[in-house]
Amino acid sequence: MQQCALDKSVILCRSCDLVVSKRALPTGVRALCPRCHTALYDTPYCSINGMLALCLTALIFFFPANLLPVLELHFLGSIRTTTIAEGAINVAQQGYWIVGIAVITAAVIAPGLLIASILAQILIVKYQLSSPFFREVLRQLLRQQSLLSQLTMLEIYMISILVSVFQLSDYTDLYFGMGTFCFTMLFVMTIFLQREYDLEHMWSMLDD
Amino acid sequence: MTDKAKQVQGKDNGLAPCKTCLKLCKIEDRQCQRCGTTISARDYTSVQKSWALLITAAILLIPANVYPITIMTSQGTMRQDTIFSGITHLVELELMPIAIILFTASILVPMLKIVGLSIYLCAISFRLPISKKNLMSGFHIIEWIGRWSMLDLFVISITAALVNMGQLLDAKPAPAATAFALVILLTQLAAKVLDTRLLWDRLELDNDTN
Repeated sequence: MQQCALDKSVILCRSCDLVVSKRALPTGVRALCPRCHTALYDTPYCSINGMLALCLTALIFFFPANLLPVLELHFLGSIRTTTIAEGAINVAQQGYWIVGIAVITAAVIAPGLLIASILAQILIVKYQLSSPFFREVLRQLLRQQSLLSQLTMLEIYMISILVSVFQLSDYTDLYFGMGTFCFTMLFVMTIFLQREYDLEHMWSMLDD
Repeated sequence: MTDKAKQVQGKDNGLAPCKTCLKLCKIEDRQCQRCGTTISARDYTSVQKSWALLITAAILLIPANVYPITIMTSQGTMRQDTIFSGITHLVELELMPIAIILFTASILVPMLKIVGLSIYLCAISFRLPISKKNLMSGFHIIEWIGRWSMLDLFVISITAALVNMGQLLDAKPAPAATAFALVILLTQLAAKVLDTRLLWDRLELDNDTN
């Protein structure tokens, strides 16, 4: 039983440990565990070049999105602007450093590391760098991958910008700037990148 | 539904998926051949860890809701808002959609997460006869929606950084913000450390109607 199960025809559900026999899926279909309905696997359409394009675009937008103000406030002739990091540092300086760390991790550091990590993985896979050093780098990056993508909360930050605009528009005028546009693009690119990315597929690159 | 004889647990075959890379491994190997993570067939201590994190989160939920989370000064008058009073204020300003979003993210989600995880953990600890399939789908919803509580913290950081015109108009975070951040962190961790396979082991024998 054990020998026949260790080949690739069988997988275990990670939520309930049921032995499920694996079969080929048409594109766009996802396999669910028959017992607990956890998503098991889908057809990897992880195109390396497509991801490279998304990744580079995201990287280009990452810097202006973080350096330019995401929101601008005009109040009785004076203008206040804020970037994501300034918002976090401001909160931290007032003594709420846990909040500050949470904000800067989820909206700046994790997305940055995620994009950089995926870019490095793609380059290693694309140019088939198979020396032990690169294999080890790829292994370490893949191990951190699920944590990084869990910490990335750009979509929530996007909604937060809108919520703040509605909340504050009662008191003053608010304007979107170039930074808001870049942030939106960064968010869109990251969403598509994460959709395209398939961790299982990337791990299989290390198998052979 | 497939008949019960076919529902073999991986553990009974001496197999376990690697926690990090999901590769199918033999339990006797102890280490994943692909990524080097230690393989555990079941993490029995995870129930205790999860309980500990969850109870801490439940305690912190009280200061998070009782103390003010923002201090807003507008033309000399200062108002301190708790999470709930902030939302009722939005309702008074007739910003219903925003109020609903914030109510869901800051009150409903943390409460549901704590209640839901407690039910889940009780089902494992005390072998409650609750439909496992419902518990599991509830767990997946909790895992997915939990991060949306961060919304409130982001909004606070944006407003605090933008609105700083002294006595005229000023917004500052207040003590509940830290408590609220910790509630989010701890509940997310509680869901993450839990080994969900324990539920499916323990209820296997009795009352398996689903």
